[in-house]
Amino acid sequence: MEEKLVKVHLKVNGKEYELEVPPNERLLDTLRYRLGLTSVKEGCGRGECGTCIVLVNGVPRHSCLTLTATLDGSEITTLEGLAPEGKIHAIQLAFLETKGVQCGFCTSGFILMAKALLDRNPDPSMEEVKEWLSSILCRCGSYHYYFAAVKLAAKYIKEGKIYFDEEEVRKKYYMKVVGR
Amino acid sequence: MAITSFAIYRPTSLEDALKFLNEHGEEAKLLAGGTELIVLIRDKKIPTPKYLVDLNAIKKELTFIEKKEDGIHIGAATTLYEISQSFLHKDKRFAGFVDVFKLFGTMALRMEATIAGNIVSATQYNDYITLLLVYDAKLRIKSMDGERIVKLEDFLIDKRKVDLKPNELIYEVIIPEPPENSSSSFYKFDRRRLLIAGVVTGAAFLHLEDNKIADVRISFDMVREKRIPARAKKTEEFLRGKEFSEEIIVKAAEEVLPTEMERVTDWWTTAEYRMDMSKVVLKRNLLRAYKRIKG
Repeated sequence: MEEKLVKVHLKVNGKEYELEVPPNERLLDTLRYRLGLTSVKEGCGRGECGTCIVLVNGVPRHSCLTLTATLDGSEITTLEGLAPEGKIHAIQLAFLETKGVQCGFCTSGFILMAKALLDRNPDPSMEEVKEWLSSILCRCGSYHYYFAAVKLAAKYIKEGKIYFDEEEVRKKYYMKVVGR
Repeated sequence: MAITSFAIYRPTSLEDALKFLNEHGEEAKLLAGGTELIVLIRDKKIPTPKYLVDLNAIKKELTFIEKKEDGIHIGAATTLYEISQSFLHKDKRFAGFVDVFKLFGTMALRMEATIAGNIVSATQYNDYITLLLVYDAKLRIKSMDGERIVKLEDFLIDKRKVDLKPNELIYEVIIPEPPENSSSSFYKFDRRRLLIAGVVTGAAFLHLEDNKIADVRISFDMVREKRIPARAKKTEEFLRGKEFSEEIIVKAAEEVLPTEMERVTDWWTTAEYRMDMSKVVLKRNLLRAYKRIKG
């Protein structure tokens, strides 16, 4: 069948894009291969593992199950767009500090799901954190670190500390790793 | 993995969607949450349709939860998460909705999957169909020819087969308002809790007058013959009008239910195990619904 391209207007991480995509293109492919946002990972490709989760108008969506052509006028946030240039978000810092990350493949999905949760409920119980984060599979088994990270992030945000200087964090954690 | 191609139609209104279906219904599929349809197309379980009608374009028109004279009306494209944010999850008469929500897929899927999408998928271990059956839910179906109301029970013909013509679209789910002193419960058993079909699922709705069972409705992922959720009507009949007691529930589960239930052995487990677990599900569901009514 002859393919007709679909025009879509997207706002990705605050930047406007006018794209022409084939109707069968998944949001996952648009973000990774058209826009180079490689924090979006393809795991199972069928909505089970959650590593491809991004926020569409603030709602978590499996980008592997979402067709870009259906998103005209939507606002999309990936991990890259969580904090302004030169800063990192409290959730990202909390994930670093709890040292949960092993291979890191699932981390972007976890952080975005945590963001969606904290946007709706700034002070979630452990039960709620578990319920929300169960959307993503981590085969290294770092779940308990991630649960603690969300609680820590909630504390930072409550104290009004939402963004942290990326350079400083980088220095602090780089030194730690090297000095070990 | 690439998905084979189709054209996407984004309707401007419900009217427009119905008009499109009237002309191209045979070659079109309706896309809502995409958690089922996209996977089916991707895995080539169904022939790739020529058109996908993107209901997200008119999601606002199809998203609502309203209390009316004839019951609770839930718009077809209302997501399971949106239902969880409504009054339904605060009312003990709808307690089964909280159970099913907590066992359905994962949080991210609950924010994508829609109520009507669940119903048209018509699979055996379909959590929401199993629950809606005990609420005697009805569907309002619209097309250019007008509209009709069909009982969910009659809508389900067989596995992945429903009473929906190519030019039709589910507009809303209607749940008759349950009386006071009623409640429900839903259970699902499998090797893990989340993101799994369940080897046995079941729901029960109970209405008490003092301690007498004024009405009871029971459903399972399968009762006999068809591998699709259905009501266990003989067991309901046995219980209706009796005084509620543990003995009567045990009798219903151990003696009456097996006379109308047929279980199958497959890759996951044996028919015998499924039968045993069905009895457990029935007993637990009725007891939990009872406790919910009493306090």
